[in-house]
Amino acid sequence: MNLIAISINHRTATVELREAVFLSEDEIRAVTKKAKENLFKEGLVISTCNRTEIFGFPANSDLTHQHIKNLITDIKSSKEISDENLEKYISRDALRHLFKIASGIDSLLVGDNQIFKQIKESFQIAEEMDFAGFLMKRIFDSAIRTGKRAISETKISDGAVTVSYAAVQLIEKIFFNLSKKSALVIGAGETGEIAAKHLRDKGIGRLALTNRTFEKAEQLATELNTAVFPFDTFKDHLYKFDIIVSATSSPGILLSKEEIRSVMKKRNFEPIVIMDIALPRDVDPESKKIESVFYHDIDSLNIIVEQNLARRKAEIPKVEKIIEEELLSFYEWYNSLQAAPTIKELRDKFESIRAEEVEKNINKFSAEDREKLEIVTKRIINKILHHPTTELKKTDETGYTGAVRFGIIRSLFGMDSDKEEK
Amino acid sequence: MISLIHFLNILLPALYFFSFLIYFYDFMKDEKKFINVERIFLFITLLVHVVYVFVRIIEFDHPPITNVFEIFTIISVAIGFSYFILELVTDIRGTGLFIIIISFIFQLISSLFIQDLIEVKEVLRSNLLGAHVISALLGYAGFTISAVYGFLYLVLYKDIKLNKFGLIFNRLPNLEVLERLSLYSAVIGFITLTIAIIIGVIWLPSAFPNFSYLDPKLIGTSLVWILYAIGIASNIFGRWRGRKLVLLSITGFVVALLSTFLSNFLARSFHSFY
Repeated sequence: MNLIAISINHRTATVELREAVFLSEDEIRAVTKKAKENLFKEGLVISTCNRTEIFGFPANSDLTHQHIKNLITDIKSSKEISDENLEKYISRDALRHLFKIASGIDSLLVGDNQIFKQIKESFQIAEEMDFAGFLMKRIFDSAIRTGKRAISETKISDGAVTVSYAAVQLIEKIFFNLSKKSALVIGAGETGEIAAKHLRDKGIGRLALTNRTFEKAEQLATELNTAVFPFDTFKDHLYKFDIIVSATSSPGILLSKEEIRSVMKKRNFEPIVIMDIALPRDVDPESKKIESVFYHDIDSLNIIVEQNLARRKAEIPKVEKIIEEELLSFYEWYNSLQAAPTIKELRDKFESIRAEEVEKNINKFSAEDREKLEIVTKRIINKILHHPTTELKKTDETGYTGAVRFGIIRSLFGMDSDKEEK
Repeated sequence: MISLIHFLNILLPALYFFSFLIYFYDFMKDEKKFINVERIFLFITLLVHVVYVFVRIIEFDHPPITNVFEIFTIISVAIGFSYFILELVTDIRGTGLFIIIISFIFQLISSLFIQDLIEVKEVLRSNLLGAHVISALLGYAGFTISAVYGFLYLVLYKDIKLNKFGLIFNRLPNLEVLERLSLYSAVIGFITLTIAIIIGVIWLPSAFPNFSYLDPKLIGTSLVWILYAIGIASNIFGRWRGRKLVLLSITGFVVALLSTFLSNFLARSFHSFY
């Protein structure tokens, strides 16, 4: 199979270069258009903040990786892409690479399944632009199946691998039902905003915000539809909250151990979770010594992140096994597109239809006509299949055109669905 | 019939141990491979155990409460059965090994030392006494499970506080669930112990001429009952939650153990049958 691919990813390029070659949806469409016109019969363009990838079946035999690289540099001319910035793949390796991306094991954050969604969107663009043909559709199906199997059959995407998700994972290890809990986010900066959104997405019962600049808190509160407290009075309300996420840029401690102790007294020592994700820290770390106070800072959340990443990495061999199984399955299908097996299957299919019909109707013929019936029906089948058989044999068995033609024959006569039924 | 009893007596510890192994494997690996197998196997184990108890009752013509080792087999099935119901109701499965190991230990000791007693005191053949003892044992089974969940709560509580995010953190349910499991088991235990006390208070004075309200077992049980009553009431009225509640449950269990030990092995009274 002459699939060819180039990849600029987190292994080969700096974040600046990755950002520079990132293609927006319009740019993906522009690259796709050029690729279709000049280089490929069909293909796929994927671009995320961590990778830009182009896959395709060459239209000409003299196509090189340099030609594909030019597709990107033509649009993103501001950055120089050297050979070291490219990973080049052909045939089975190109397909394996796509499956690795789909399963998340090639991601910067191993098991990140955002890529799964991004591949689907890229394929949708290819399909809309008539760039995803017969083979690419099958490859896409296999890639998606690989991704789904990786998620369902392994733990490659289990556990939080970002600090904000780790905070939520930790909160869920303390409280059963977040819809019955209340949370206060102190600080409406980027970190506070992400934390507030995570809590809202997890269905927190009551969410409130406070920020030194009240307007900023109010703005975010409007966006998230939450309550907002003035910064100078928020301490009076602390005891009402089960979860406190603090993410301000305050240079010193905002909440002392004594303040937390007095909050706990008011709460009758009902458990409280304090996520101090500010640097420097906002809450006195000594607060963790108070009964039923679950105090955690960035360092403790990073422990969870690192453990989860290590666990995900340990799952890579299982995912690689799935990838090899899917590659095998794809190639079984692909090889079935070659002339000899396809012709044989086509003949077998016609012969079985003929034999079945003859058997059904044999009693309508006299004993002496039955032999003639066999001969005549076989002759008809041979005559019908003579031309298609000759044409199929002429086709280049390994070429792209051949594969597509065999595929069409198989699809028209439902030969793959027969196989699946068997 | 006797040979069946002897066979089941050997089989039961093996069944409990195997159930424990399946739960243990699932807890360590978290592959959810045996998620249904473990429940079905535990059900079969409990079914065999119930058959064993009934066969004993029929064969020996008395409830299996005439000696410590008969009591142990009832405790074993009561703990296993209570856990099974709790697992069915809550669908929380990650904690089975911590409970089933207790059933296994009780059954193993029972199987090793139990005797085929046909001649027993006439009072021990009473069905009311059977109901009294079995409901009391169900109560203590509930308290045992409650204490186990309380203990697991404390371990997880400590791990979270100390940033230890290992096996316990990853496999156990969250703290609130452990607290609820502990509370629910304690409530079930409390209800069945209350039934046992009611039967006892009504029936014991008429059955035993030397009945006394100062009986050590009665005092010990009442103390345990009061402790759990305070804990449950405090929880209902929102005063005691979390760590305090599970500490109370564990305290109640320790008092229950001490009271059983003291009243059975040290103090002699009408309430001691063996």
